[in-house]
Amino acid sequence: MNSVSPAIEQAYQLLRAEAQQKTEILKEKPVILLGTATCGRAAGAMSVLAAFQDEIAKHQLDVVLRETGCMGHCYAEPLAAIFKKGFPPLYYGSLDEGKARRLVNDYLVNDDPCYEFAMVALEPNDFFPTFDDYPRGIYEKRIILADCGLIDPEDIDHYLARDGYSALAKALTSDPAWLIEEIKTSKLRGRGGAGFPTGIKWEACKNAHGAPKYVICNADEGDPGAFVDRALLESNPHQLLEGLAIAAYAVGAKQCYIYVRSEYPLAIKRLKTALEQSTARGLLGQNVLDSGFNLEIRLFQGSGAFVCGEETALITSIEGHAGIPNHRPPYPATAGLHGKPTVINNVKTLSYIPHIIRNGASWFTSIGTPNSPGTAVFALAGKVVSTGLAEVPMGTSLRHLIYDVGNGIKDDKKFKAVQIGGPSGGCLPESSLDLTIDFDSLQQAGAMMGSGGMVVLDEDDCMVEIARFFLDFTQKESCGKCTFCRLGTKQMLDILTGITEGRGREQDIDLLWDLAEDIKLGSLCGLGKTSPNPVLTTIRYFRPEYEAHIREGRCPALMCKSLISYHIEPDLCSKLCNVCIGSCPVEAIYTRPDMLKGIYPDKCVKCNSCMVACPPQYKAVVKLSPPAPESPVGERGSEVEQANNPDH
Amino acid sequence: MSKLITLIIDDKQVEAKEGERLLWVALDNGIYIPHLCDLRMARRTVASCRLCFVEIEGLPNPVTSCTQTVSEGMVVRTRSPRVDRLLRTGFELLLSNHRLHCAKCAKNKRCELQKIAKERGLKLKLTRLRQLVKEAQIDESPGVFCYDSSKCVLCGRCIWADQEQVKVGAIGFIRRGIGRKVATFEDGLLADSICTQCEACVKICPVGAFYLKEDERKPYKIKKEC
Amino acid sequence: MDPSADEQELIRAAVGTVLQDLGIERASLIPILQGVQNRLGYLPSLAMRQVAEALQLPEVEVFGVGTFYNQFRLNPPGKHQIKVCMGTACHMMGGHIILESFERRLSILEGETTPDREYSLERVACVGCCALAPVVVVDDNVEARVSPIRVDGILLTFDIERQQEERQEKREEGREP
Ligand SMILES: Cc1cc2nc3c(=O)[nH]c(=O)nc-3n(C[C@H](O)[C@H](O)[C@H](O)COP(=O)(O)O)c2cc1C
Ligand code: SF4
Ligand code: SF4
Ligand code: SF4
Ligand code: FES
Ligand code: FES
Repeated sequence: MNSVSPAIEQAYQLLRAEAQQKTEILKEKPVILLGTATCGRAAGAMSVLAAFQDEIAKHQLDVVLRETGCMGHCYAEPLAAIFKKGFPPLYYGSLDEGKARRLVNDYLVNDDPCYEFAMVALEPNDFFPTFDDYPRGIYEKRIILADCGLIDPEDIDHYLARDGYSALAKALTSDPAWLIEEIKTSKLRGRGGAGFPTGIKWEACKNAHGAPKYVICNADEGDPGAFVDRALLESNPHQLLEGLAIAAYAVGAKQCYIYVRSEYPLAIKRLKTALEQSTARGLLGQNVLDSGFNLEIRLFQGSGAFVCGEETALITSIEGHAGIPNHRPPYPATAGLHGKPTVINNVKTLSYIPHIIRNGASWFTSIGTPNSPGTAVFALAGKVVSTGLAEVPMGTSLRHLIYDVGNGIKDDKKFKAVQIGGPSGGCLPESSLDLTIDFDSLQQAGAMMGSGGMVVLDEDDCMVEIARFFLDFTQKESCGKCTFCRLGTKQMLDILTGITEGRGREQDIDLLWDLAEDIKLGSLCGLGKTSPNPVLTTIRYFRPEYEAHIREGRCPALMCKSLISYHIEPDLCSKLCNVCIGSCPVEAIYTRPDMLKGIYPDKCVKCNSCMVACPPQYKAVVKLSPPAPESPVGERGSEVEQANNPDH
Repeated sequence: MSKLITLIIDDKQVEAKEGERLLWVALDNGIYIPHLCDLRMARRTVASCRLCFVEIEGLPNPVTSCTQTVSEGMVVRTRSPRVDRLLRTGFELLLSNHRLHCAKCAKNKRCELQKIAKERGLKLKLTRLRQLVKEAQIDESPGVFCYDSSKCVLCGRCIWADQEQVKVGAIGFIRRGIGRKVATFEDGLLADSICTQCEACVKICPVGAFYLKEDERKPYKIKKEC
Repeated sequence: MDPSADEQELIRAAVGTVLQDLGIERASLIPILQGVQNRLGYLPSLAMRQVAEALQLPEVEVFGVGTFYNQFRLNPPGKHQIKVCMGTACHMMGGHIILESFERRLSILEGETTPDREYSLERVACVGCCALAPVVVVDDNVEARVSPIRVDGILLTFDIERQQEERQEKREEGREP
């Protein structure tokens, strides 16, 4: 480090002091932080917010009520944290209007913290357990998620008060070459998918000829099962802006883009607010922190194309064309946007930057594994109990992640597979549960870190169907430019659809495998090259399921609609409850003269409503595969699954 | 200006200017590499047909020769089990979406697909894959030529000719994925578009997608290549 | 169906405003089309022509961009837009069943609009609420953990709303002399 400029330090200290003063006042009053990220809103956070407001107004309380982002515990949304002097700060989950009103009445007006629906305490105390008292707390280590849900993303002072932008101040007083060296030493690898070392990318861009240079943040998060980037944008946008500014300064760029997908309207709104606020404070724009460094950050909204997450397509899209990838090399670092040297980094990658600059490269390498230092953030979804975000050190095993952080499989079902990395990734079976996760281990297993999407599948999920689902996705999202991807994914999809509909041929598995290998090698861009992964991994780990479909017309998971039929088990049906009849959307269930219910196979649309509706004490609805024409219940040799409906 | 270098293609020593595209160096030296999308005159290689793979010593996987620039001492193989396998699959994939009726096609005997099949001993029919072609309306609206999208292999040459060579801008790629198509504004008839019927696209189309009406009437008459 | 003179005027004005805001650079093409769609609900043929002319691009180029991206619509949408998430999590938690339920109830297929222009039904690939799957975005609201029964509920709410509006209108009409 050289040339420490006191002006920059001073400018920053001033901003932070103001912010701290402002937030200090808040500590005197009770504070409610309510998560209103998209996940919270979907679960009803806005009506909870209205209830809080209403009740607070009714009692004329002096309470600070703030909207925050996602705390990562999406399964328990709507979720609020309440801070009140003399009590431990507590999280309250699964809120509704009634609970919100009670919290105001019982806790804020009177002094009963409603422990009965508190979830966890945020600080150690004598009354209530904290995260550290649960397995989740042991395995989680939050770096980029640490402040999510605990700061107001639309108030820059919350971020500043927590030392936000101090890394930028430090960076601006440092030599760009030192910054790049620091990032190289930290061995930070890109979190957008491939895990390319970020420092090396920056160096290539810095050393490349051509001006101006650009930095682009890839916030296109197209994997249909990942929502880490969305949560980061909605919960802590300044962390990203700070990282982006540091990247720009390091490589010598004055203009940045953030490419956000348009399916994330709230993220776009909060980013816009953040940009305005940091520009107003002199943290972006002309003469950042009196350093003489100028920086402009523009938002660019995607228009719905997964392939635009691929960096060359993303660039073509910003230039105003259809998002069609180009051959690499040249890599964007040497010839990117408008042919100029361009760094493209993922939201997560850039969000780590301030932490690394603040805490040092050796702090970062002390976390995780030697080749993949730091943490990994996963979006847990599917059949796992605690869906949401989890940040764990690299090298954590899948088992810990799914069973300790995610609290296991829903409804006591049996784990079958975990899909990691979305359309580019693969499905790993139970035997892979002890695999420790990092970039290289996942790649070896045939999956990919991808965007951090992790969808847990249980015994009711058909692996051929999941492969078909992903091929359907990539086939729809292929840009159509090159032969292998445009036509190869279509051919694979047709074969897979055939198998799930009972038209599979014996040679199909080998043909799928051969096509998959050729598409991997022959496609132009990453979308095509990785599109066969879901097929390859499901064949590799679940071949017998393919064979059951092809040889016996049977779907072992009872999922493929063409291969199952619904029946009502006479011995179990109560005869008098009629619930299934009301639940059926197409009137396919009838009452027989003996009061037993029956299902017309030709009318049934296999929507599963009756199975869900049949009360748990009867569980009389069954699925059979291969499908049986009438109700041959009890017949041997076919799969039978009973209505399983624990919580209705 | 560029310096001359030597490289070896299929055991043959050839000279070329440094930085030239390997595909054209090979073709200029009488070594055939299947190719559809690359144009020597075009500013930018699109690398979309994926038929021009070769092996280069020192590189782990086959590469497309249209995107590969030549350098001193490079050792190239245009055939290898992997290259042949990629070509076989790529070619069959293209055929699976190409309405095959060579005998009646206006471009019979002058079609680039037929040439590739002949050079590489490939069949002009599907052996493993399913037929994907949908019936498409042939656009017969221009005076002397037609456009049959069910024959198009999406090489993009016609668009280059239309937009870069004659600078009309009547046709372009629309939609995406399997729906990607060469078409006019709103996928209308050529005669209703700004097309000047200059026939640049017809001359450049390697298959029977853009063809002259007179060739269809006399399908066996072989015209000289231009 | 050609737009009426009024509609044409409306389209011209909307495109004009957007072009004024965003300029006529090639790189602004996508924001321009987004702006036009925000104002008009879709990309009318006339608007694409006008944009092409202003940016000095071949019309087919604008059409190519407009048909490449999922978000652009070439036809006017319904009054209520229903987007069913077909991302991984939603699919595995029964998203396809929800889509089918909507298709059945509205008698249209995904990508279509009901003849009375009340509803359009689309699929969307993940809105980032995978933890609460299956998810449906109705107009701008994200509905979590949707079941086939909830599908009926959503549509019923709109039906009731519409009936109330109609009654209101009738009442107002009745009041007028
Ligand atoms: C089909 C495809 C989709 C991609 N989608 C994304 C995405 O949504 N977000 C992202 O950050 N990277 C995505 N990538 C990876 C980018 O091309 C690029 O490698 C990444 O943004 C680089 O950032 P990083 O070095 O920080 O990982 C995608 C790649 C491919 C091939
Ligand atoms: S691999 Fe697929 S997405 Fe990539 S360029 Fe080829 S067709 Fe387009
Ligand atoms: S004939 Fe028409 S479409 Fe073909 S190149 Fe000429 S102007 Fe373009
Ligand atoms: S019409 Fe002919 S030249 Fe044009 S893309 Fe199709 S095959 Fe190529
Ligand atoms: S000629 Fe090389 S990919 Fe088409
Ligand atoms: S898969 Fe539906 S919201 Fe993500």
